[in-house]
Amino acid sequence: MSADARTDVMAGRPSPGRPRTRRRRRRSVHQQAGVGLLFVAPFTVLLVLFLLLPLGYAFKLSLYRSTLIGGNVFSGLGNYRDVWSDPLFRRGVYRVLLFGLVQTPVMIGVALVAALMIDALTSRFTRLFRLAMFAPYAVPVVIGTLMWGYLYSPSFSPMHVNLIADHVMLFSLGNIVTWQWAGYNMIILYAALQGLPREILEAARVDGAGQIRTAFSVKIPMVSSALVLTVIFTIIGTLQFFTEPLLLQPLNRGTITNSYTPNVYAFYQAFSYQQYNYSAAVSFALGALVFVGSYIFLFITRKRSGLQ
Amino acid sequence: MGKQRRFSRRAGRLLTVSLALSLLAACSGGSSTAAGGSAKTAGAGSGVTHIKVWAWYPSFQPVVDHFNATHKNVQIDWTNAGTGGDEYTKLQTALKAGKGAPDVVMLEFQELPTINLTKHLVDMGKYGANSIQGNYVDWAWKQSSDGAKVYAIPVDAGPMGLLYRSDLFKKYGLSVPKTWDEYQQDARTLKAKNPKAFITDFGASDAGFMTGLFWQAGAKPYTYSASNLPNIRVNLNSPQTQKVMAYWDGMVKSGLADSTSYGTTDFYSGLSTGKYLTYIAAGWGPGYLQSVAKKTAGKWRAAALPQWTAGANAQGDWGGSSFAVTDQTTHPQQATQVAMEIFGTDQDAWKIGIDQAYLFPTVKPILDWSYFRNKKYSFFGGQAVNGDVFGPASAGVGTFDWTPFNDYVAGQLTADVGQAIQHKTSFLDALKATQSTVAGYAQKQGFKVATTP
Repeated sequence: MSADARTDVMAGRPSPGRPRTRRRRRRSVHQQAGVGLLFVAPFTVLLVLFLLLPLGYAFKLSLYRSTLIGGNVFSGLGNYRDVWSDPLFRRGVYRVLLFGLVQTPVMIGVALVAALMIDALTSRFTRLFRLAMFAPYAVPVVIGTLMWGYLYSPSFSPMHVNLIADHVMLFSLGNIVTWQWAGYNMIILYAALQGLPREILEAARVDGAGQIRTAFSVKIPMVSSALVLTVIFTIIGTLQFFTEPLLLQPLNRGTITNSYTPNVYAFYQAFSYQQYNYSAAVSFALGALVFVGSYIFLFITRKRSGLQ
Repeated sequence: MGKQRRFSRRAGRLLTVSLALSLLAACSGGSSTAAGGSAKTAGAGSGVTHIKVWAWYPSFQPVVDHFNATHKNVQIDWTNAGTGGDEYTKLQTALKAGKGAPDVVMLEFQELPTINLTKHLVDMGKYGANSIQGNYVDWAWKQSSDGAKVYAIPVDAGPMGLLYRSDLFKKYGLSVPKTWDEYQQDARTLKAKNPKAFITDFGASDAGFMTGLFWQAGAKPYTYSASNLPNIRVNLNSPQTQKVMAYWDGMVKSGLADSTSYGTTDFYSGLSTGKYLTYIAAGWGPGYLQSVAKKTAGKWRAAALPQWTAGANAQGDWGGSSFAVTDQTTHPQQATQVAMEIFGTDQDAWKIGIDQAYLFPTVKPILDWSYFRNKKYSFFGGQAVNGDVFGPASAGVGTFDWTPFNDYVAGQLTADVGQAIQHKTSFLDALKATQSTVAGYAQKQGFKVATTP
């Protein structure tokens, strides 16, 4: 691209006085596209280098099979067949599905109620509450989990119940996730609520709707696209459940096994067992699940969310 | 699902280790990440060979400084590349990539066959390592060699013994058990007098601990040597391992032994509040206990591990480490020298290792050294635990093979036994399950698997 064309664009000068031909205009569009490319180049380079290439490499890995003895052979989709029929992987998938099925409504419910409350009420405690609710999100996941790990300790726990036992582990993990993420989702929903046109709310009030009626009949339907967004985030997050179980594993290895969630399984396959190929296949299988899961949810809610 | 997840994985991994306060052999906490205490790092052309070493021993810097001060032509550049699994992950990656590995690397005994399977460890026998075999305890030397092939030079080990609260033993009228039967009897007496206390905590979360008990019982769960590839025998479900598991199944189910995971705050608190009266420990255990149960100083004593047969001297090992040379070194001769001489038979180096890092030596001259044998530990009421208990224990340890996929085996064993505890099912069924998954895994990995004794 020529130097003066660049200055033209940069200065936003419309080159006055000169009559433009059609051709000239088209070239200018091309030049602008070139400049656009220049602007996205840094991002594109990083995207390609650190996401697309590694993804491609991981996919290639997943098509090969390597055993401790016998080396590397191309196996096509063999690893994927193994993954789908692997009982450990399946159990992990069921576990995160079950977890998500309970976790998602509970957490989004908490977030929604909190958001409606701070939207409707204006007192000096509102700000404090908003901050307190959001604060856990500012705590790094690892620190938060370790903290809860200590709170769950059977001998130090102020609750005097064994919260790391087999039958309550998922609940305990869910509690950590809710604590950590409810505030974050609340802020998203709160922002959406704040964006609602005040006239509509006024109209509702004039029509005699109370706070609760307004919440159910006006506010919630109007922020449904934000709700869909938070649910999608949560679905993706729970399917990829990883950090919390890994950190609590030392407390109870009998329950949190090395295949507790698909991601934990992939992690151990790669970094403890040197099964990089199988781990790549597990990761892609999980990726496919996340994709399908999100798609199904978006499809079901397409009318409400306005995402067609 | 890219970068963020990868980051949290790494962070997670990192912090798992700190959460667990790593129970691995003699390594409660790496000290520093500084590399090489050498003053003449710039002297590249002066005929000085710099050897990169990865290790995570506590108080390792003074040992490196001592080596560099006493050697002219070879200097150590030390890096702490992480404790246990963290270091192995980095090492495996570097070995696979063909670059980035150190010349000399610290490896635990149980991990040696796994790393050696990559065929990236140098046979130090070619560089004169066999000449020092006589200096080492026989079983430890066999952990790191295969006939005349020497894949690593042993440093420390973890022969097992029984640490007990002598004050509480007196209080409850217990006598120091000589056999596992007496130990169980003590546990019952204790339970009757104080239902809240346990004789010990069973480390179902620690494969090394359970394997040490198998080892003492004379079990050979795996038969494997690098020179006999691809053959392996997996015999995890043998009369010996069943004996051990049936015993502990009874101890845990009847509430005589606790089953809190090792390395957790609950475990530490149990050790320091008198909830646990004994701690079945390795040679590095006295130092470890001293650091996690400071409050109880002077109240502990050490005794030999209880026996299955009265009067026998069967011992097991839990942990231990060595120095290996990787094939990425350009100075195999000097690297071998470093592996052989970092600790070697050097009393000054070992003094640091014994006093500050609580290493239990595998070197005979040091095991026999009066300083080591007679060192009195005030934490143990002035008892010379090395000469008294762990030295003799080391002499009774037999040979033992590990699998070349140890992490997998350890993961399965802890998960299966852990599940048996959680679901109150039989430890013997857990053993059966581990046997079949491990054998299946070995087969799938291309090994020729035998399962008969």
